[in-house]
Amino acid sequence: MDNVKHRSSGFLRRVLKHTFSGWGAKIGLMWVGILVIAAVFAPFLANSMPLLVSLNGEISAPVFRYLSVEDIVVLIAFFVLILLFLSPLRHSIKSLLLFFLIIIVGSTIVSKQFVTVQQNVVYSDFREDIKATNYDWVVMPPIPYAPEDYLRDSQATPLEAPLENSEYTHWMGTEENGGDVLSRMIHASRIALGIGFIATGIAMVIGVILGGLMGYFSGIVDMLGMRLVEIFESIPTLFLLLTFVAFFGRSIYIMMVIIGLTSWSGYARYIRAEFLRLRKMDFVQATIASGLPLRSILFRHMLPNGIAPLLVGLSFGVASAILAEAMLSFLGLGLVGAPSWGQMLNQAVQSSTFNWWMAVYPGGAIFLTVFAYNLMGEALRDAIDPQLAKKAGVVG
Amino acid sequence: MTEKNASSRHLVEIKQLKTYLQSANETVKAVDDVTFNIEKGETFCLVGESGSGKSILALSIIQLLPAKISHHPSGSILFDWRKQSGLGLGVNSQQKTTSEKVNMLDLKENQLCDIRGSRIAMIFQEPMTSLNPVDSVGEQIMEALLLHHPEMSDESARDRALIAMQEVQIKDAETRFDNYPHELSGGQRQRIMIAMALACEPDLLIADEPTTALDVTVQAEVLKLMRELQERKGMSILFITHDFGVVSQIAHRVGVMKQGKLIEFGETKEVLKNPQHPYSKKLLAAVPENLPKREKIKDPSSEKPLVSVKDLDVFFPIRKGIFQRVVDHVRAVDGVTVDINKGKIIALVGESGSGKTTLGRAILQLQKPTAGSVKIDDHELVGLSVDELKPWRKKMQISFQDPQSSLNPRLLIAKTITEPMKVHNIGNSDEERLELAAEVMEAVQLERDFLWRYPHEFSGGQRQRIGLARALALNPEFIVCDEITSALDVSVQAEVLQLLQEIKAQRDLTLLFITHNIAVVEYLSDETIVMKAGKVVEQGYTDDVCGNPQNSYTKELIEAVPRLKL
Repeated sequence: MDNVKHRSSGFLRRVLKHTFSGWGAKIGLMWVGILVIAAVFAPFLANSMPLLVSLNGEISAPVFRYLSVEDIVVLIAFFVLILLFLSPLRHSIKSLLLFFLIIIVGSTIVSKQFVTVQQNVVYSDFREDIKATNYDWVVMPPIPYAPEDYLRDSQATPLEAPLENSEYTHWMGTEENGGDVLSRMIHASRIALGIGFIATGIAMVIGVILGGLMGYFSGIVDMLGMRLVEIFESIPTLFLLLTFVAFFGRSIYIMMVIIGLTSWSGYARYIRAEFLRLRKMDFVQATIASGLPLRSILFRHMLPNGIAPLLVGLSFGVASAILAEAMLSFLGLGLVGAPSWGQMLNQAVQSSTFNWWMAVYPGGAIFLTVFAYNLMGEALRDAIDPQLAKKAGVVG
Repeated sequence: MTEKNASSRHLVEIKQLKTYLQSANETVKAVDDVTFNIEKGETFCLVGESGSGKSILALSIIQLLPAKISHHPSGSILFDWRKQSGLGLGVNSQQKTTSEKVNMLDLKENQLCDIRGSRIAMIFQEPMTSLNPVDSVGEQIMEALLLHHPEMSDESARDRALIAMQEVQIKDAETRFDNYPHELSGGQRQRIMIAMALACEPDLLIADEPTTALDVTVQAEVLKLMRELQERKGMSILFITHDFGVVSQIAHRVGVMKQGKLIEFGETKEVLKNPQHPYSKKLLAAVPENLPKREKIKDPSSEKPLVSVKDLDVFFPIRKGIFQRVVDHVRAVDGVTVDINKGKIIALVGESGSGKTTLGRAILQLQKPTAGSVKIDDHELVGLSVDELKPWRKKMQISFQDPQSSLNPRLLIAKTITEPMKVHNIGNSDEERLELAAEVMEAVQLERDFLWRYPHEFSGGQRQRIGLARALALNPEFIVCDEITSALDVSVQAEVLQLLQEIKAQRDLTLLFITHNIAVVEYLSDETIVMKAGKVVEQGYTDDVCGNPQNSYTKELIEAVPRLKL
């Protein structure tokens, strides 16, 4: 049976290989890869505290003391994913997903117990500490400023253009309060990625289940389902988000859930249309004739054959979720503490003088990210398209 | 002098033609060193199995292959280009004709456009897609005319189009002129295509499988029409087909193609009677009429019905208006009563739309019957729920027509075959089930290792065998074979038919063989059921039904079959 498991992802692997054979998708993937690295290792890439210090031969890592629960969970998730990907053991996608979820939930609970939340960190203390204490050596992060480190101690004017100050290097300048723009950008990539993946993930799960049932049963189920889809399509997401922000305060998680809950209708339509077509196909009729259970017919035989257009929609969905969050933040309804790209753009607009570096970098990042997802979506669509797939040997 | 005469008789001379197709990283020799002539006023048939390059050869002649993907490393296509100067068309026209031998490969695009449609016309297999759905059929014929005769007035073009429509024997040409393609039947559409092709009085008509998509009675009419038109107009026809019956009906000369090469050509009678090349011999031997006849079971005393169908109706509602009221029903299966006797091969024949596939599916409860009863071993199936049906599912299985869609492209063959076994508790462990699956694969003459492949790695014939293997995996007593050989080449069809008989004998199966091919019916089945418009018009022993049909429709059907006349 080993043989089976090794080859069981055949189609997906072929499609992915074909998708990333073009340069557009490669560039897109590269940019998303950079974002993932930045998001996962943000506290190590841009922080005010040293990564490692050696005091009289004793080495310590102050940065670890200040990691938040979120940082730890993201790190664990990243390494578990890498391990699962590299491990020679191949299990079904279902068990892998379950394992991954358990790890995430487990690590969240454990780190909640052990991590003490550091409040009101005074970042200038670290710089003074380094100057005052006689360390053997100090390893600082590549960008030695935390996103909320406003450099009250060192700079006369908070606002600085890129590379203006020779004493403190700010590659992308600083914002009005004195925070380093590059550092804020790196930390904000986490929100951009998280909202994209989680919001579309929620939307996809709901869309696939409802759309699949609608397509398979058709008739009255389909009729009721489509009315539900129409109801959800007529909800103005932005106003719903505004209302929720007003009532429940600003939370990135509530935003993710709301964007997810209101954007599943498109996926449901895709899956419904595919299932209506597949339902009459001979191999599905053969599964019915063999008396297979409904679960197997829907999810083993029909879904893998109907998921293709959904995958394309998915990558465009991620892009639009990122835009939705950026828009909210731009309107000043995003998170207060943590920086996000949209909120940084908002800052640029609201400042009394126009400071190009405050607008160009976050704006460029939003553009590039949405563009990257769209590029990958296009490539995926081409890979799945039957005409091209024929050339790639996927069909016939 | 004789040399020159011979050459002037030739309308098309093809010499050492090679057409290579360029795909991503390989070159396919689609036409490989082909030499032949088409004479004036003859029908030349190109026959061959799928992928033999016969369509590519036709497209090369008319130079319709995109230059991006195709090129001709060598060869020439000399065409006798008859140029008309002067006005008018038809008998009374005053015109001078000059003719000139041109090499189609050297002509410029605008010259080719002058030839295409006016001197060489082409008709295609699929009459559904070769007509433009937004224009009326008459306008489309007029458009073809005006394109090549810009001097014509609209009225005279309309008159010519009407004449062309009458020539292809379309009744009420005047009213049909304003019909849109969807308002016509498949046979009428193919007639319109022919009218369009003939409107400009071409010298060569290339017909690429023009009757393959048509029902056998319609095919007979279209073939008759083409023969008559050719005799009257004296044009040449290059007729492409895979059906030897059609060849013997229409061709003066025939060429057999295999893998891009023209392996044999000559007078139709000579080639069909006395093929020289081993491949032509093999092809002709595989035609169902030429297969060795099997012993038919004709013993009323041993007959015991395994499946009995009584007064079965399957209606599809037609809804109209804003309230979707049901105004009428499509009676796909209309009061059918049939007994399927144990251990027999029963053929279910009919033309498209006769409800034969719906009947097959309704017996298996894949299509919910509107009324009536289906009993297997005296157990009623109609009205059972999904769970109640499950134990009966493994007794009756189905195998499908289209090898492309009958297997789940995302699943390994092993998974496709073992999953139903698991559901029905056949075999105790995965290993045992895999062993059983391997045995079934061997039963359909495939290798065990094929279990670890995906459907796209197989040819059409292999896929049909896998489809059979899936059905056999559950040890059924009764299998519905829904047109399982229709999409296959004739030699592969012969193999599958023989395999089917072997399996039937080994496993004591009862088969309901749904087909439109009378030759296959005569070869294979013990009993035959003929359906028309949802009703059974005749049933009985195959020899009686096919040899001495009682019903007028059955008679018409059997007469329309293109036979190999040797």
